[in-house]
Order: sequence, then C-alpha cells, then structure tokens
Amino acid sequence: MATQLTFVRFAWKNLWRRRLRTVLTLAGIGMAMGAFVCLVGFSRAFEQAWRQMYANSGTDIAVVAETFLNTTIDQSVGAKLQTLPVIAEAAPMTFNFMGLTADVNAIAYGWKADSFEFSAISITAGTRFHDGQPEILLGDLLADSLKKHVGDSLEIQGANFNVVGVFHGGSALEAGAVIMPLDQMQKLSSLEGKVTAFHVRLKPAPVGESPEHYMARAQGLIESALPGVRAVPAAERASNNQLVLLAHATAWGTSSIALLIGILGIANTMAMSVFERTREIGVLRALGWNSRRVLLLIQLEAAALGMAGGLLGIGFGWLALRILAHLPQTASIVSASFPFPVLAEALAIAIAAGLLAGIIPAWRGARLSPVEALRYE
Amino acid sequence: MSSPQLELRAVTKHYDGGRIEALRGVGLSITAGEFVTISGPSGSGKSTILHLLGGLDSPTTGEVLFQNSPLGSASDTDNYRSRHVGFIFQAFHLLPTLSAIENVQVPMLAAKGADHHVERAETLLREVGMENRLDHRPSELSAGERQRVAIARALANSPGILLADEPTGNLDSENSARIMKILTGIQQDRGMTLIVVTHENEIAASAPRHIRIRDGRIEA
Repeated sequence: MATQLTFVRFAWKNLWRRRLRTVLTLAGIGMAMGAFVCLVGFSRAFEQAWRQMYANSGTDIAVVAETFLNTTIDQSVGAKLQTLPVIAEAAPMTFNFMGLTADVNAIAYGWKADSFEFSAISITAGTRFHDGQPEILLGDLLADSLKKHVGDSLEIQGANFNVVGVFHGGSALEAGAVIMPLDQMQKLSSLEGKVTAFHVRLKPAPVGESPEHYMARAQGLIESALPGVRAVPAAERASNNQLVLLAHATAWGTSSIALLIGILGIANTMAMSVFERTREIGVLRALGWNSRRVLLLIQLEAAALGMAGGLLGIGFGWLALRILAHLPQTASIVSASFPFPVLAEALAIAIAAGLLAGIIPAWRGARLSPVEALRYE
Repeated sequence: MSSPQLELRAVTKHYDGGRIEALRGVGLSITAGEFVTISGPSGSGKSTILHLLGGLDSPTTGEVLFQNSPLGSASDTDNYRSRHVGFIFQAFHLLPTLSAIENVQVPMLAAKGADHHVERAETLLREVGMENRLDHRPSELSAGERQRVAIARALANSPGILLADEPTGNLDSENSARIMKILTGIQQDRGMTLIVVTHENEIAASAPRHIRIRDGRIEA
C-alpha cells in the first residue's frame, strides 16, 4: 500500500536512517530529562510535603533568624513572643537531617512534649515522649524501615533512645521522620538553648480585618518586638527553608548540567546529519523547497529528538522516583507520587532543548547554495 | 513569432573571485514547448546555463528572464523552481530513505495547496512505466528505473519546463534510448519545454534545436 509522504513522516525517515546514532542521542537527552524529572520532581514533592506539614499543624508563622547563615535563634525569645497580643501559641522547634543507621537517613524534629504541632500527627502505637527523657517517636514508614516497635531502643549519634510511640503523618516527611524532645535534640546537636524556629499560631483575626492584613500586621508586630528575627508566613517558610532551597538548587543545578550535555548531543547529531545530507539539501532546493522549509525540516527533526528524549526521560524519572521511594536511605524524604506538572515542564524543556540544539545546524542547512550543495561530494 | 519563455541576456558567470569564467556574455532565448539540446566539452559552461535557466544560480552580470520578467529575489526563484521547473540529474539524486512513490511526492511538499499526493504520484509513476515498483527504495531499483522515478518526480508539480542535466550519462544505450523516448514523449504530449544538456552527439542531434557551447560561449 503506497503511503502519503508528509513533512513529519519525511523528518521521521531522516532520523531513523541512522538508527544507532538516533537511539544514542535519545538515550542522552532521555537520561538528562530523567535526571530533571527525578530531581526536580523530588524537590517539588519535598516542598509540597513541607507545606502540608505546616498546614496540618496549624502553624501560621515561622519565626526564624534574620540572617541566612546563622540559622538558629535563642530559645529565650519564646517568652517575649508569648506576650505579643496576636499570638495564641509559640512552639520552639529544631530540625536536622540525621543518619540513624549506616543505611537509613531521616529528618529529626525536636519538639516540646506539649507542642501544638502534635496535632499534625496521630500516634498509632504508644504515647507521646516526655521532655528531658531520651525518648523518641518514629514515623510509621521509618519504624518499618528500621524494624522498630514501641519499647525498642535506637542509638542515634551515640546516644540511646527508647521508642515510646509510632505515629502516622500526612506527608512523606512526617511518615519518615523521628521526633524527640527539644532538649534531647539540642543536646545531640550541641545547640543547647538554641532552636531552628518558633512555629506560631495566631489568635483569630479581629472582626473586619482581612486575613492578609492581619498576617502582615502580626509579622510587623513580631519583627518590631524582636530585633534580629524574621516572621515568615508558613507557606513561604515551607518553600524557603534551607533543606527545600538546597533540594531545589541541587535539582536544578544537576539537571541543568545534564540538560546541557543532552543539548550538545542533539546539536552534534543534527550537525552531522546536515553535513551528511548536504547534497540532498541541494536536491530539495532544486525541487522547489525554499530555505525556510529546509530550516523547518531540520528544526522539526531536532524538536522530535527532544520530544522523544523527553518522553523517554519521563519514563526514566518515574522509574528512578519509584526506586528512591522504596530505598531505606531515601524513602523518608521521597514521595512515590508522580508530580504531573513536572512532566509537562520536562516535555516543554525537552522540545525547547531540541529546538535550541537545532538552530545552528538548521541555519547552516538553510544557507546552503543549491548549486554548491548539488556539487558536494 | 511568439515571445520567449526563457531568456538569457548577455550573461556572464564567474567563479572563484573571477578566476574562472564559466560563461562569457551568453544570449539565448527559448520558446515555450521547444525541445532544445545543449552540448559541449566538459567545463564549457553547459551545466551552468542549465542552473541559471532553472533559477538554481544567479549570473555574475546580465539577466535571466522567465516570461519576460527577470528572475529576482531568492523567494522568486524558489517559487519559480517549485511551480514552473522540473529538474532531472545525471546521478538521479533520489532520496535513499524514501520509496519511489515517496520520492515523487517530495516536490509536492513544497507546493502550496497541492492535494491527493499519493494518487498523483502513482499516476506519474505509471506514466513512466514504474507502476510495479511504487514501494521500492532507490537501492532496490536499476539505474534506468531510478531515472524513470526521477522523471516522474520532475513532473510532480506539473511544471512547464523540464531541465535535464546529462539524463542518460549513467545509463547503457538501451536505457538511454528508453529515457529519451519517455522525455520526448512527455514533451510532446504536454507541450512542455524540454532542455537537455548532453555529451552524446546522437541525443544532441535528435532535438529540433541544438546549441553548442565552447569556452563559455554559444557556437551555434
């Protein structure tokens, strides 16, 4: 059965002519986009988990140190905070990323035993810990990974802790976390008297005052009463805490390098392809193709490489996220859920990468003189 | 006498910064429907004339006219090649990844509003006796068959002018005769202008009008 030759079919046939080269190029851009989907997907899911955690606990504002590098704040600030008229509760907290065993890492939180943040989790076995005691609560995912139950003990950085409870949290961050008394965490981190932040619940907004205005007023009150601190709305804090920023920076940095390599791969393939097809381009010009159409053909081939690489990358990224979500080292911070906006972004970036990579080869192909191209050996 | 369809007026063509003078003041006019052969020794400038007449190249000085209008900008010549000219090459220049019927459709992709590509390509291939080889790639065809596909491709957009550069140069005598018969048959049936550049005296002499080129000038 004879087939209709379309522009797209023609481009596809050109790409498929050098199968091995096309497949290797696709593997290159696919790996790059896989890295993007996996890393950026992970960092976005990580940020989302932080937002969810703040929302679950009912935290309105995080009070943190104003400076970027000095990320601790004096615990004594809490007493002053409580005196401010807009504040219902202020819970001191610390967090850190800790290696619990050789294989298992987890986020560790230090809370007071009476912290309102307990409302974000539900204890499914055992009880809350007591301040001043070497006791811990394990997220259910982490308890599974460590194979620990209520009554077991766990050594963390040389100190023994009793597992007094197992809890279920709404996000991977909580399900894979360990929570211990604030004083124990401060001792472990050698940061006695210091906290990472105060999580603040505001009193209800006065009648007639908009939530936005009330939030801004509360921020202003806190910052003017306590010089050297910043009052950050919880949602903003979720996006801007150091772990999330580090995750975003690492994800984008690594993905960008991988993407650059992928772009160079496509550019090399297209440049070789145009070089090899010089005479054919001359034939196309002789058959009435204008330079714009030649340019479009080469750009279509480059974009198709980018798109196919992007789809391949989505597959790689999905697989990588699934694996990371099940590895004990990473299960506590990687969600197995697939971030769909990242997929659309990945596909758009992959196509744009193809188009970018195709610019110079396409420009060269379009500029070829028909006669010189026909004479080309 | 009817006005010329194609015309060269005092055309020169220099290459390599003027070091090579391929054409030295050539004047030539061709009427619609004519069959013209151009012959001459290698390097005499006959292919250059064909390239200029086909809008593939532009003269160093002088003018190339189509229907009394100079071939001007690049977009004009692209449009001219797409709508009015069909090229046939000595080395066939079929695209190796495409089947015979797909090769014939390649010029149709450049033409605006063209439709029913497959049916049209099939009709053209039938016209040159290639109806049983539609889905064969160039590598699966003989030299004579490839040139027949190339002829069908040259007719894809129904041009008024066929330009053939040594169309039998890579063929044996039997296939040469067959190709020339097809070309002249098409020229007569459709009333097309056929311009053939050739080395072969027999083919050169077969046309009602034969032009000899030597050292970039027309001899007769």
